[in-house]
Amino acid sequence: MGRNALAAALELRDHAVTHALIAAAAAATLFRIVPLACDGDRLVVAGAGVLRLAAGASCAAFAPGRATAIALDADNRATPQKLTADALPAAKIPRAAYVLAPAAASDADETQLVTSTIDVTVPPRTPPGDDVYISTERSSWSPSEVRMDRVDARHFRLVLQLHRGARVAFRVTRGSFGTTERNAARALPPAHVALGEPDAHVTVVVAAWGDID
Amino acid sequence: MRNAVAALVVVCFAAFPCAASARATAVLDGGSIVFFSDTLALVARDGATLSLADGTRAHADAAYVDLKSHHVVLAGHARLARGTATAAADAIALDLDGDRVDLLDSASGVSRTTRALGAASAAEFDAARFAFPDVDDRNAFIKSKHAKITPHADVRFTPASFPTSVGSVPVPSYLYTYATGAGFAASSLSGATFDQPYGLWGSPTSLTALHARWDDGPGAALALQQQIVSGDDAYLSASIDAPFRGYAVRSFTAYRRLGARYTASADGSATIYGSTEHAGLTAAFGLAGAALDYRHFSSGFSTFDAALRTPDRPLFGGATWRLKGIVGFDSLRGGLLTQLPDARRYATVWRHALDLQVASPLMHAPLGTTLSSTFGLQRTWYAFPHHYDSLSAAASASRPLLRNVTLFAGYQGLWSSDVFPNAQAIFYPTPATPLLTPDGTPYYGYTAFSGARTFRSQNVDLQFTPNRGGSTAFRLSVIHTADFPQFNGYGRPQWEARADAKFRPFPNVGIDVGRVYDFAWGGTRWQPRWSFAITP
Repeated sequence: MGRNALAAALELRDHAVTHALIAAAAAATLFRIVPLACDGDRLVVAGAGVLRLAAGASCAAFAPGRATAIALDADNRATPQKLTADALPAAKIPRAAYVLAPAAASDADETQLVTSTIDVTVPPRTPPGDDVYISTERSSWSPSEVRMDRVDARHFRLVLQLHRGARVAFRVTRGSFGTTERNAARALPPAHVALGEPDAHVTVVVAAWGDID
Repeated sequence: MRNAVAALVVVCFAAFPCAASARATAVLDGGSIVFFSDTLALVARDGATLSLADGTRAHADAAYVDLKSHHVVLAGHARLARGTATAAADAIALDLDGDRVDLLDSASGVSRTTRALGAASAAEFDAARFAFPDVDDRNAFIKSKHAKITPHADVRFTPASFPTSVGSVPVPSYLYTYATGAGFAASSLSGATFDQPYGLWGSPTSLTALHARWDDGPGAALALQQQIVSGDDAYLSASIDAPFRGYAVRSFTAYRRLGARYTASADGSATIYGSTEHAGLTAAFGLAGAALDYRHFSSGFSTFDAALRTPDRPLFGGATWRLKGIVGFDSLRGGLLTQLPDARRYATVWRHALDLQVASPLMHAPLGTTLSSTFGLQRTWYAFPHHYDSLSAAASASRPLLRNVTLFAGYQGLWSSDVFPNAQAIFYPTPATPLLTPDGTPYYGYTAFSGARTFRSQNVDLQFTPNRGGSTAFRLSVIHTADFPQFNGYGRPQWEARADAKFRPFPNVGIDVGRVYDFAWGGTRWQPRWSFAITP
């Protein structure tokens, strides 16, 4: 548990004993970090700040750009650890542990897989037996890239698991280029974007299809 | 048409130098480079070197290029040089299309300079500038050692392997295009069972790609496609599709948005057997609209349609109606009505039509059932004693049975009648001998056909989505059709059963596999078919 979270829970932010308790708790916690650089006793953590290495810890344990784990001792000094699945993201490192901290803390955890939902409403005159697909740049815009799940006669849904921070541009089709969605003026609309944010939700109302009306 | 296609090919080839010479703004080299297509993240490790078009050179232990923002982070023993100016830090952040350079020194903090690498001044520590993605290389879409980046357009990897794409073989060079202009999604190639594009040259406004294709009938084919794109507003796509067996197809499609109201489009294709061209114009007036379409075939046949449609207007209870009026002609050298002795008098036949469409709202019934229906009524009058009527109806219902299981049912019907007053027997004569179906059996019922057709189908689908947060879905479908005429081996099979499974065995690989059985069709008891698609 991070220092700030525990302090807030106890509402004893400035109490000296509490600080010691928090430090002890943090010492037992693993943090998953991406080291940017390590020089002497300084460890630069990507998207976070600069930590001080514990005595005896070596920079050789850190490869820039490759995720690893650290633990903090009572003096908030870092020691390299074996990476485990339960390691907390770097955003949870107590701010006080940094000898050089950013102006604003980041809470993003890019390892996190988040759910992004795309809901599509199709026009009433959509042929009832047709499947609906999304097409993305990943397949060079193949018009039948990912088939959506039918919810009812007019609604389709696709649930994507994306990395946090992902940004997927997509278009809606009925499986071929000729059946790509059009806007109310029957022009090609710009691509929609599904974002890798927690519980992200994109709603697309297809005004018309390229082959109908 | 040949001249037109030849001209298009010339235009396309004229664009090649533009595409080929679109200079990469950044070149990234590394002991290993991994690319993640969902986050558009490029990560170079084991010694990374970055060369920018303005002469800037950078080196670091690792580097991260965010293609969404064109931001670069150099990590570990980072060095930047431009001409004789140099800068060094533990980490350096810069932008591919910006001037700002942030230097992070673990001892002294952050300082800021420009790409000219003048004197740096102390700056606020912005953590977001020094973010580096926490990625597992095993999930990379592409692995390489050399990447040429054209911002807002593409990345060329040399070589390229695809660790999470089943069946994808390593290639010496691979162009990944991440431009999102609508024209990059436009294809003049016809649909195929399998189509794997391979980018040859690219720029922010063009892409030349080779396509490895396979389709039922012609089999394996190689195609070359050139796309020229202007954002979402215009494109031109031209292609040559050459199967190893059979004949090549040359085609093009073009589109141009003309302001907020109008669009213009054209397309065409040509084979050794003939060609067809189409030109169209659409206009929007509020929610109403108009369209002009002209289509010409090398056989001499051509059609023209001018259509006006109302917006969807409320009817009652949430239902809507829409009316479309169409005026146009059909034309054929030598005459359209070949059944008549004076066919040449009918080389061009004008017609007009009214099309009424009614759509119900989505209705909620007990037990979570939803219902939806549409109706259509159309009559076309011709400039001689002839009219064509059609009536269509479609209804569908869905009902969740369990949390992850949904039942769908649908009905579609289309009834049409081709009427020639006092001349029906001329245009639909009773056959003197029974019509033979493809398996050789006579189809006696055809003698009852005199221009009135019926197409009816009912379907029941069961959809199972085991994990709502995932990409897995199973579907079982049964479809029954009752058409007239319904030949044995022509038209639609009377019964069809299909099973579809969609799942994602690896993070970057989706598989969509289907098995279809056509019953009582083609002279056999049933005909099985597979459908299979691998998606990124």
